[in-house]
Amino acid sequence: MKCHFCERRCDLADGRSFCGNFAEENGKIKERWPDQWCTYSPSRIESVPFYHAYPGSRSMIIGTAGCNFRCRYCSYGFIACKDPAQLQDVMYTIAPEKLVAMAKKMGCHNIVFNVNEPAVSLPSLQRVKKYAEKQDIPMGCLTNGYITPEATQMMAEIFSFVHIGLKGFSDAFYKEFVGIPHIAPILRNIETFSRTCHVEIASPVIEDVNDHELFDIARFIHDIRQDIPWHVFRLLPEHNMKQSVYPNIDRMNQALETSRSLLPYIYFHNFVGSRWVNTLCPGCGEVVIKRFSLGCSGDRLDAFLAPDNTCTCCGTAISMLGTRVGWNDKQTTVWESVI
Amino acid sequence: MSLAIIDAREWQNTFDLETGQPQTSESPAADMAARVLSRHPYPGDVDEKANQWVTGTALELIDRYDPDLVCVSYVQQFFADRHFRYARKERERLFASAMEEAERFIEKSGFTPVIVGTGDMIPLKGEMDLSGLDGLAVSSNWSARYCGIHAPSRHDMAFLDSLDTLERIVSRDQWIQMFATAQHDLEIHQDTNLMPDFLLAARQGHAFKTMGTTLRKPVHIPAKNFLVPVFSPLGRVDDLRDIKPLIRSRLPDHKIALILVEGVGERFFPASRFMCQNGVDWFCNEPGDAFYLTVSTGKHQPFAYPAGYRFFDKDADAIKFPFSGYMDTIPEHTLAQDFPGKSIAVGNRSMFMHMVFGVDISIECFARNLFNQGCMAVVHREDK
Ligand SMILES: [Zn+2]
Repeated sequence: MKCHFCERRCDLADGRSFCGNFAEENGKIKERWPDQWCTYSPSRIESVPFYHAYPGSRSMIIGTAGCNFRCRYCSYGFIACKDPAQLQDVMYTIAPEKLVAMAKKMGCHNIVFNVNEPAVSLPSLQRVKKYAEKQDIPMGCLTNGYITPEATQMMAEIFSFVHIGLKGFSDAFYKEFVGIPHIAPILRNIETFSRTCHVEIASPVIEDVNDHELFDIARFIHDIRQDIPWHVFRLLPEHNMKQSVYPNIDRMNQALETSRSLLPYIYFHNFVGSRWVNTLCPGCGEVVIKRFSLGCSGDRLDAFLAPDNTCTCCGTAISMLGTRVGWNDKQTTVWESVI
Repeated sequence: MSLAIIDAREWQNTFDLETGQPQTSESPAADMAARVLSRHPYPGDVDEKANQWVTGTALELIDRYDPDLVCVSYVQQFFADRHFRYARKERERLFASAMEEAERFIEKSGFTPVIVGTGDMIPLKGEMDLSGLDGLAVSSNWSARYCGIHAPSRHDMAFLDSLDTLERIVSRDQWIQMFATAQHDLEIHQDTNLMPDFLLAARQGHAFKTMGTTLRKPVHIPAKNFLVPVFSPLGRVDDLRDIKPLIRSRLPDHKIALILVEGVGERFFPASRFMCQNGVDWFCNEPGDAFYLTVSTGKHQPFAYPAGYRFFDKDADAIKFPFSGYMDTIPEHTLAQDFPGKSIAVGNRSMFMHMVFGVDISIECFARNLFNQGCMAVVHREDK
């Protein structure tokens, strides 16, 4: 029997899936570690980083263990690239209704799946969605996009905002740095997601490795929808690339220059003090959203200057899911009322 | 205005420390600090060369600024021992080499040292998973012994009472009262409403698993270090709070280096060490901001950032001191704050070195959760 969640389509007759999360039982795919989470913590939505969804809001970050990728530079290799079976003592077992209650206790406006690939935990996430919906809590995620059309459909039903990693623009890059043969399924799924969800795209840039592919990525995004925000991350060499050099910021920024004429919302960050995290109005060039970046999951909203998601100077609409949410808007102290 | 100069490898920028806004600066001290930063790229928190980075950077800053007071921290061994498993011999070498690095600094700088260890690390025996409470359990990335409980149910309290690995449950009022008795001018700068209703203390070797704890499971955690080792040729002290008055009284005729060595206990200290009280009654400071602030201010500081604090419910829409972790004001009464001589700090404890000592110029790594982002220099003043 083949697993139908990610494009590896692992043969479960061989035992378990590549990610370690699925096995076959009585002719059905069984989730091996249901309702197990590696974290549940409040964070700023900009730190995920979603820049064009509910700006300023408080997200509850969740994740599980295991992944279908083996990125050489993975920042969470100690969770994502491990067999979940070996991580049982670090995980939390929290029933879906309890997890949603936790988000309410912590005053979170939304729930975002981060850390590893959500496709490896879709059955659990479907259950969380059921309760989150009742409580009016939107859900979002980061995904590498290497998932089947069936899983893409499931994810589009769970998540209203999706951040997709587009780590390069060639099979060769994905083969060497990620360990999968083809980029095509990822490109297909970005198009699918963009039809039903709010989409942002992230690309880590590695100097002399994939910086020559930046313009191709920009053109691909432009051809789908030019208002999709694109985050270019300066790669922080981690995991199996710890010894690599840090990409030069000025040179990488220069390499992005031609792409800026194609896409209005390009951000270059993942380093402390980035100057390329503000949103400029595509109409008149005024700063409409100011942000501050500490790099590495430390971004935050500084000022939201576009009431009703509209530039006050020229009236151009700024592409956005929802609008400004105050950090403490959902804060609650009366927990008896929670679920 | 205090300036922060950030070096993210081959890329430097200057900011207003308080607002985080970019600044253009003509400050000679900022220029000097920026040049020191670019010559000393940070190797990373758990890299073997991280402590050498501290010594090298501090020596160059001394060379260029000629301070009378230097505050230094060596933390690589603490990060490494906390997260990774080493063979016994290798582990011994880790701590011994941290002390050797401190000695190398003393020898090269010629400063008179006051070396303070934060005490031994011991293997993690087990963790208490408190994610299932009706109330909310809050711990922090770097705390093992303490956890705060907010709005517990009767059922939660019965469950906590049943845990053998829990040493005690203390109400917020009892906790505050104990320190108010020990420190008549106790300062609480945070909102007490966001402090936990109950503070939990784990038994030795045990830690908590809750919202806010790290994704990386610790291998070793601090022991209950009610006594910590101090080496001081300037004289003996009995309590961490006595270190500040000792240093200040001897500064007129000595150039002094206060050196904090984290995760290091008594047996790695020179034979002439002595042990010094850390904390009150059942509460000892773990390595971290409260420990540093107690040494620097000469006062108990458990509430600078209380354990179990509901930090996320703070009114946090406005940016204040964004490079300084949770700190949103510059602490008062720090060691170098009103010292008329020149002072610097260098360390690989990130986010608060520049706040806790009140020195003129500081340099620290800029790493978060072990992710190495570069380094930061802070220039608080250059009028000396
Ligand atoms: Zn405009």
